[in-house]
Amino acid sequence: MRRNIDIAVALGIVVALPLLLSSGSLASEVLIYALAVLGCNLLLGYTGLLSFGQGIFFGLGSYTIGLMLTRTGLPMPLALVASIILGGLAAGLVGIVSIRQKGTYFVMLTLAFAQMFYFLAYSVPSLTGGDNGLLNIPRPPLSAFGVVLWDNTTAWQFYAMVAVIFLLVFVALHRVTTSIFGRTLLAIRDNEVRASAIGYNVPRFKLLAFVLSGAVTALAGALNAMMVGVAPLANAEFHVSEMILVMTVIGGAGNLAASLIGALFYVLAADWLSTLWPRWLMLLGVLLVVISLGMQRGLWGLIEDGFLALTGRFKRTGEIRVEEKQV
Amino acid sequence: MSVYLLQTVNGVGIGMLYFLLAVGLSIVFGLLRFVNFAHGVFYLLGAYFCFEAVRQGMSFWAALLVVPLFVAAVGWVAEKTLLRHVYAKPHEFHILITVGVALIIQELVIVQWGPLGDSVAVPTGLEGVVMWGDFIYPKYRLFVIGVTAGLAVLLWWVLEGTRLGSAVRAGSESPEMVSLLGINVFRLFSLVFALGAATAAIAGVLAAPIRGVEPFMGIEALAVAFVVVVVGGLGSFTGALVGGILIGVVQSVMSTLWPEGARLMIYVAMAAVLLLRPNGLLGKGG
Repeated sequence: MRRNIDIAVALGIVVALPLLLSSGSLASEVLIYALAVLGCNLLLGYTGLLSFGQGIFFGLGSYTIGLMLTRTGLPMPLALVASIILGGLAAGLVGIVSIRQKGTYFVMLTLAFAQMFYFLAYSVPSLTGGDNGLLNIPRPPLSAFGVVLWDNTTAWQFYAMVAVIFLLVFVALHRVTTSIFGRTLLAIRDNEVRASAIGYNVPRFKLLAFVLSGAVTALAGALNAMMVGVAPLANAEFHVSEMILVMTVIGGAGNLAASLIGALFYVLAADWLSTLWPRWLMLLGVLLVVISLGMQRGLWGLIEDGFLALTGRFKRTGEIRVEEKQV
Repeated sequence: MSVYLLQTVNGVGIGMLYFLLAVGLSIVFGLLRFVNFAHGVFYLLGAYFCFEAVRQGMSFWAALLVVPLFVAAVGWVAEKTLLRHVYAKPHEFHILITVGVALIIQELVIVQWGPLGDSVAVPTGLEGVVMWGDFIYPKYRLFVIGVTAGLAVLLWWVLEGTRLGSAVRAGSESPEMVSLLGINVFRLFSLVFALGAATAAIAGVLAAPIRGVEPFMGIEALAVAFVVVVVGGLGSFTGALVGGILIGVVQSVMSTLWPEGARLMIYVAMAAVLLLRPNGLLGKGG
């Protein structure tokens, strides 16, 4: 039942975006960041891991597709697959080192690794273009055996391809989160000690979630590089990690449709407010404070409460753990 | 050879600043079990307040005394009005609220001083270099080593030798017990948080003449402070000192060997330490 609602919301937004927005790149941006947010949500909302390192995989995805499309003759779908695989591998590496640590230690490590990746990208300009980034990344059509199946020349054509990829990933992640694997992740999120006492190999599950998250985020980074035509050093900056995390939290952790709402809100607010007031990020800071103080289920929680109030059911579903602990 | 000696001394200088940055973070974590992601912006505020004070004609020396008090007040207010209300919540919300505070302050700094950086002149009397034989070293950097070493001793004395320090150390073990003994823990939390902000601000003031000011120096400093506490062990005073100096020396020596990769190497050093000692060099086992 819930699962159908989430998929319906995702499908509805994907179809509504072209009707409501005039810019195809803005619409694509929403879905691309939503992909990255899905990856982050899998960690934060389903496994209880707060990662400040998602920018690593986003940046890596951008660089990988840039290198593949400009320096090798690899077809575009395979280049995307390469980005996904590299993203997963990088997440595995970061995960092996950081998952041994718990709680805040883990969070600090992901942030440190994000900085490490930034300086790594900065110090190997032969691969990443250093400060300038990788330029002139093409947006090739989707073709098989020389036959063009889907042209990606206009922004809206590209949006259609991104939309299909997004929906595929969304449904796949839904299958994952509702599977036994996903339920185990939730058990780990809610009570790690108990999950481990029951006999689950907690670090292995966390690592798998991390790899999956890295792969999805790298895909988002790759699509982003194709959309803007460059893989800038800025894609590896800490700011990207922070942005992805903020979108996740604003939308609401622990629900996949909420991730899309979070990305939609952020990207549209950025587009609209940044022209009015360049320092609009301050409002995001305020929003984060408000969410931490009282609105812990994010925008999705707000929507859910509003919907339940309207339909006369004042029952809370309690998606996210609200655990009060005495100091 | 003397290049490496010089770079090692330089590294100790940078490392002492890193220590100062990390020790506040570490003490606050020890007592409040709270990783303060706004710690970097206290450093940022320290540097910018110093820049503004010097621009207004105040002497650097006065700024070194006054600015940390100002920043401590900012930290105190933030703790009283906002952070206090999330202590009972899961640690994700501790992080998110401090990230929110950090964003707000960073954007306020950009509103006030613009997105571009600026430089701060080395204070009068400390320009130039000292020479001992063929060993040449900038006076200001020597001064920074001296001040931070003095502060390290002072902090150590406060923590180990005063009533406040024993309350802080006892609070790190069990806030409930300290509270039962009649100490107002909430006041202690505010005080320690303000102290942490002040140490970060002193690091910011001292760093300003060396590296100038720019709005994104806060996040960079936060990441370095994390590396230092991860290497040294979180919640440990000596850990912050050892970690800070180690990371400073690595960065400084690597900047002669591989200038582009010097920043990268401090993170590589961190990863190496973690693989060998997951709890940091001086962290408690477990």
